[in-house]
Amino acid sequence: MRLYYPSWLTSKKKEIVDMVHLPTFEVPKWAFTLLNNLYEVERKLATSGDPGNATRNVLKMKDALAEQGLFYEDPMGEVFKETRTDLEATITGTGTENLVVVEVIKPVIRFGEAAFSRVVQRGIVLVESKVDLKNN
Amino acid sequence: MSNMINFGIDLGTTNSLIAKFDKGHVEVFKNPSGSKESLPSVVGFRNDRILVGDQARTYALKDPKGVASRFKRKMGTTETIKLKVGSKTPVELSAFVIKELKNFIHTGEQIEAAVITIPASFDTVQSNATKESGLGAGIKYVHLLQEPIAASLAYANKEKGINLRNSQWMVYDLGGGTFDVALVKIIEGELTVVDHEGDNYLGGADFDELIVEKLIVPELCRRGKFTDLLAQMKSEKGKYNRHWYILLHHAEEAKIELTTRTSAEIDIADYPLEDEDGNSIDMLLTITRSEFEAIIKPAIDGTVEMMKRILTRNSLRPEDLKYVLMVGGSTYIPFVRKRVEEVMGLSVNTSIDPTNAIAVGAAYFAGTKEYKDASENSAAPNNNSRLRIRTSYNRNTQESEEVFTAKFEGDVSDLFYRIQSNDGSFDSGLKKLSPRISEDLPLREGAFNLFTFGVFDNHNNPVDVGFDSIQIAQGRYSVAGQMLPEDISLVVDDVANKDTRLRRIFAKNNVLPAKSKMTVEVAKTVVKNSDEDVIKIIVVEGPSERHSSTNKPIGILQITGQQINRDLIRGTEIDLTFDLTESRDLTISAYLNGTGQEFSQVYKGQKRYVDSRLLATEVIELEVKIQSEINDAANLGNFDSVQGLQNLLSNVQGLIMDSHVLAHDDVTDDRFKLEDKKRKIAQEVFELTASKRLDTAKNSYEEAKEEVGSLVSDNGNDREKHIFREIIAREQTFINSTNPERIEIATRELGQIRWSILVRMPDFLVGMFNHLVEKRTSMNDQVLAKQLIEAGRVHIGQQDWDDLKQVNSRLWDLMPSDISEADDMRLYTGIV
Repeated sequence: MRLYYPSWLTSKKKEIVDMVHLPTFEVPKWAFTLLNNLYEVERKLATSGDPGNATRNVLKMKDALAEQGLFYEDPMGEVFKETRTDLEATITGTGTENLVVVEVIKPVIRFGEAAFSRVVQRGIVLVESKVDLKNN
Repeated sequence: MSNMINFGIDLGTTNSLIAKFDKGHVEVFKNPSGSKESLPSVVGFRNDRILVGDQARTYALKDPKGVASRFKRKMGTTETIKLKVGSKTPVELSAFVIKELKNFIHTGEQIEAAVITIPASFDTVQSNATKESGLGAGIKYVHLLQEPIAASLAYANKEKGINLRNSQWMVYDLGGGTFDVALVKIIEGELTVVDHEGDNYLGGADFDELIVEKLIVPELCRRGKFTDLLAQMKSEKGKYNRHWYILLHHAEEAKIELTTRTSAEIDIADYPLEDEDGNSIDMLLTITRSEFEAIIKPAIDGTVEMMKRILTRNSLRPEDLKYVLMVGGSTYIPFVRKRVEEVMGLSVNTSIDPTNAIAVGAAYFAGTKEYKDASENSAAPNNNSRLRIRTSYNRNTQESEEVFTAKFEGDVSDLFYRIQSNDGSFDSGLKKLSPRISEDLPLREGAFNLFTFGVFDNHNNPVDVGFDSIQIAQGRYSVAGQMLPEDISLVVDDVANKDTRLRRIFAKNNVLPAKSKMTVEVAKTVVKNSDEDVIKIIVVEGPSERHSSTNKPIGILQITGQQINRDLIRGTEIDLTFDLTESRDLTISAYLNGTGQEFSQVYKGQKRYVDSRLLATEVIELEVKIQSEINDAANLGNFDSVQGLQNLLSNVQGLIMDSHVLAHDDVTDDRFKLEDKKRKIAQEVFELTASKRLDTAKNSYEEAKEEVGSLVSDNGNDREKHIFREIIAREQTFINSTNPERIEIATRELGQIRWSILVRMPDFLVGMFNHLVEKRTSMNDQVLAKQLIEAGRVHIGQQDWDDLKQVNSRLWDLMPSDISEADDMRLYTGIV
């Protein structure tokens, strides 16, 4: 028996692009839960080792979601400026200039495809001044 | 001329919102970047930019000279906030917040008038100051409304049947950073705030800190050796400063989780912590709801005390109140509701959304309030500007950042500009306009980067300069980037139609290089060491909605039984990766999940691959297809098509002879010529039969629509009705297209609705059961079939339809249909 999918999930690429341009378009909460946890799993596998090659399954799950227009990006190590609106940053340390992302609590989630996508969840990150990092 | 105000603004201490009343409904607008309804009431001035909201909040703690927050508490005082850019008054700062809220209105409307809410505690001077900030933000008419009244209106509009006459109640507002409680009464038919109390430094953020300080840190100290962990966390130079912020985020999540569960886990295993002896500490903690309640109890009891004071002052008993209306995000906490109910002996009312109730209530009020439009020249965007703009920037670039410059002719004083990316990742903030401006725009790799450019007056009203968008294509979209002239697709078997179909890998106009992944399934078991069983991964170029025979083959990867290290069972997944370089070299890689093997092959873009044996099979298949099309056309009396198809048939028969004599290892280019001829014939067949396929697709769609339409209206649930309406609504987009596949997709969607309704209907389930009973002799496991049939009859007797559904599906699994279907079909590629 076929499963019921919400109509936005079965949409084709063109519709995805149309949706990206809709200001009122909303991604359901469960999709964020799924992607945020997938990100955590991926990171845990990277830090604690992955003898059973579960990363492969994670990547397949990511691909399946990306086909429906949903994907996440890890901003770790990227430069942060006050003009960046895809991150909700907290500054650690003393400096406020030359900031880089030092910890990622939640990744940036985007909706769309490679050529055009929209931020649907801001990444939650800690940023620190390069100067502070050098002194530590 | 008089109009309705319609807009409501909740100008909060920590967060602000904007909502609009429209035809009986209220819409709360969302922040275009970040999609949240609320805007942090924080204003920052950094590097000649004005930033409002989350961007400014980031710097609030670390750059107090550049960022101002919580200024609402200073409204109406002579106090100014000293910043690097000079002193700012609370009125000016609030005006920035309101201007930013105007940006949330996605409908592009100008906001002429608004209702702005104020705390019950605001006196005349503070109220006037609020009004002034609204005017300062360019709103011509401002009407003030007390927050507890706004919340009460939100409630009254939600529960329309409620009778509030001669009653009084309390509004308990516990938000992110402030607490207010007010006694509201209807006096002579009007809602009035009679009394109030509050605490400017109590809210959800304090609870997050309490979780870290009172629960997490003591637990970590039990697990490892730390002398001053908390101090090291809170100090910005401390060793564990990062952990403080990480824990605060997780504490907030745990707090939210505890509103629905009795315990919450904090898992920060991926941020390791070592104690002073260098031992790594287990970072998985559990917090129970009762632990959390114990630490916030003193604060909540403090709020209840304030409520009691109001009652005493007004000589009221709790039973004189109708209820306590809960507002503010922190009232989601069950303990807050429970404690208020327990101590006060009052029922709490939680029927409105506590996070936006004040804005919603303000909008409802605005929807009933008229204002006189004093200015005649208030036409939307200001077109009278004499500004002229000349812009200069690279539309295509390989850089990760591009400079945008513009020159202005005309009066630029008191004007600002702002550039925002359409994907929500960049905002320049408001910057003062000068005759020459330049801005570094960050670009997303391999994407079309779209930015909105706007010039604004000092009320944040847009000024039309005849230029509003910047488009920059980064990386692969540069001029050098080559575009694909045709779709590139994978050929897979179409078991249901006993044919093949195409799955698009790369779309036409995709820019190279490109990479794509696809997962397919093995359609028929491939036995190890057998020569017969072959999997063919065929990549073709041409329109993907057409048949594979009309496309040009560009690469084929074959995997035979000889190459695999164990049998590849039907249904096993194969992960395919396709890489296409700028010079059109195609690499096909296949990972067999069943055997763990990987196969890969590169095809040079300049060469073509035609397998002579495969070509011979294709030509024969084409002949069979033309024969059957001729029969169909003759039956329909379409003699023009018959004539055309017969000509093609004789051509293809010539090709059969030619391909037959072609040796497997033929080195000449004969096979390319033959392949070209075959493809041309296939294209002509496709064109000659296109109208037939289109008619068939339309007919089956119409039939499905009629059947599903009546099924949905009689038995469909809301969700099915919605999907059905949605398909019908976009009918015009596919029904008139020349592509039967698009119509077929819609028909399949209707089929899904039909099926989901049918499987709920007892008649259908019984009919299906009886059908399966008739077929029982051919089932794989006779003993199990017998048991299931007996169980099914009992379920029918008891009218237990859910269980009957299960029985049907298990009986269905016993049917040998899969095997017979697979035998009927000569698989072409071996993958589906």
